[in-house]
This record gives sequence, structure tokens and C-alpha cells, in this order.
Amino acid sequence: MLFLAKAALGLGATVALAGAYVFHEGVIRVDVDENSVGGSHVHVWLPATAVPVGLRVVPSRNLEHAAAQARPYLPVLRELSKELRKYPNADLVDVRNPGEHVRVSVHDGKIYVDAVCDTQDIHVSVPVETLGDVADRLESIAPGV
Amino acid sequence: MNIFHRGFVGLSGLLLVLAWAVIPFPAVAQTATKSDQWIHVRVESKDNNGETVRVNVPIEMAEKILPVINHDNLRQGKVHINDAHLDDVDLRALLDAVRSSKDGEYVTVQSNQDNVRISKSNGYLYIHVTEKKHKEHAEGKAGKSESSEESKVEVKVPMKVVDALFSAGKDELDVVAALRALSATGDTELVNVKDNEDTVHIWIDSKNVSD
Repeated sequence: MLFLAKAALGLGATVALAGAYVFHEGVIRVDVDENSVGGSHVHVWLPATAVPVGLRVVPSRNLEHAAAQARPYLPVLRELSKELRKYPNADLVDVRNPGEHVRVSVHDGKIYVDAVCDTQDIHVSVPVETLGDVADRLESIAPGV
Repeated sequence: MNIFHRGFVGLSGLLLVLAWAVIPFPAVAQTATKSDQWIHVRVESKDNNGETVRVNVPIEMAEKILPVINHDNLRQGKVHINDAHLDDVDLRALLDAVRSSKDGEYVTVQSNQDNVRISKSNGYLYIHVTEKKHKEHAEGKAGKSESSEESKVEVKVPMKVVDALFSAGKDELDVVAALRALSATGDTELVNVKDNEDTVHIWIDSKNVSD
């Protein structure tokens, strides 16, 4: 009985610790809803930690092309991530048309991109910290940055 | 320590770990909230679509990001002027002359089509341009009718910002230095453009949202 209790406690602590690590950076959320009959609805929730971990697991040679393509924008991405952490709540861009609304904002350390129009709604949220992690990893692969 | 104590310690540890997971980055980030100057751009279109664009950018963030953007004429926060025909004009001497001169109107142009006024007052450079467009409408019973549309441009720039902008070199505009100088200025209106189609408003204040 005592052994089972200890094992359960150990297992619970491990699961909690793993869960805490996985979610400590927040969640990346992508929601795409087509406002038509039979339109597709895509909802993806991904722990933000999975991205830098995934980028480390993927062999560098598979990322070289993407890194080379993104190379001109990586310093901007890195600085943006660094600076946005200082401004956790802000509406950066807001474009409104009749039937269209695009908004880029930062709330609670997450960058939100919301695009709503008559045909589809797109909502993407990414922790600002993740942008920096991605830029760092890609910079380490892309030579000459 | 009996099993209950151990369980209690374990449970407390679990709760602490979960609390760390639930309140991670946002709480830390919120303590770092800044109340710096923000540059706001608002463009309102008066045509059928009625498009509105609002952009709010912290000046400090722009200062940091601009130097890492290298695109076309923008290099390391400086805009290179390729073909500005400035060879015959000593822009620095011109600016020095304006800076050291007394407040007043320097340029006044009045015509049927445009009115231009450039003046300096209390450390600010003002540029006011009014453009009149005459439109002829189709001939009706009462003959041709005419209407005029007016577009107004009002620019107000602190002289310190102008100095910083031209501080880099002969063929360069130092945008980062200008932003730095701008952030030192208090809340101010920079650009107002009004015509029959669009309204453009650029200003600086310490709010992180536009009105």
C-alpha cells in the first residue's frame, strides 16, 4: 500500500512537472473557420514549447532551406520578440473595411493576429517568447546572419 | 514523517509546480509594462469602403527594430537619398540658418491652386500646404458648373528632430536619431492631412491605443 502511494506520488509529480514544462511558455493557437456551407474548420492548439524542441530535434539540413529563406527577416523577428516582451498589452495594427477586419495585437505576452471577413475567420496567437526561440534556432542554422 | 506528511509535502510541491505552469510569462511580462512614447498613425478613407487603418508603435521599439532592417534605401536605420540633387544645396547650413533665426514665416506662396506656408515657432517647424482642385462638372441647363475641392497638409516637426534627421551625412537621413529625438519630445501632433477622400493623422503620446 505504501509502495503504491509512493509510486502514485512519483508518477503524479512527474506528469505535473512534464505538463508544467510543456505549457510554461503558453499555447500556440490557430483557428480557421470558413463561413460557408460545408466550409472547413481548423482548430489547432499546440504547446509553445513544442516549437523550439521540435526545431532542435529536426536535423539542421532539413531546416537550412527555410533558414536561408527567412535569413533577411530573422534579426527583425529576434528584435521584435525582444521588444514586444516590454509591451504585453497593445493594439499594434487595426484595419477595418466593411466586411473585413484585421487586427494585430499583443495581450498577456502573446501576439494575436485576427482576420475576420465575410468568407472566413482566422485567429492566430503565438507567445512572443516563441518568436525569439524560432529566430534563435534558425539563425544558428543560417550562416552569415 | 508519516505517509500523510509526505503526501502533504508532495501535494504542496505539485500545486507549486502547477501554479508555475498556469501563471508563467504574462505575469512576469506585465510587470515590465512601459509607459514610453507611442507613435500613432490613423488613416480614414471617406470613399464608399470607408476603410480605417490604425497603427500604434512604441517609439523605443521602432528605434531598436529599424537598424536591423536593410531593405532598398533603408540601411542601419538611415535612408540613403540617391538622387536628391542636393549637391548644390548645403542642407546643414540651411538648417543652421533656420535654427539660429528668429521665429517667423520663411516661405509663403499663394496662388490660385496652392498655398504654402513654412514657418518656425517655439522650436517647431511648421509646413502648411493647401491645395485647391477645381472640378468642372458636365454641362447642364444652366451651363457648366464648377466646384472646388481642398486638401490640407499640416506638418509640425520639432527642430531637434529635423536636426537629428539630417545628422548622419550629406546623402542620408538618420531615421533612428530622429525617432530618438522624437521620443524626447512630449505629446505632439506631427502630421494632419485632410482632403475629400482621406484623412491622415500622425501623432505622439504616451497611450498605447489610438483614440
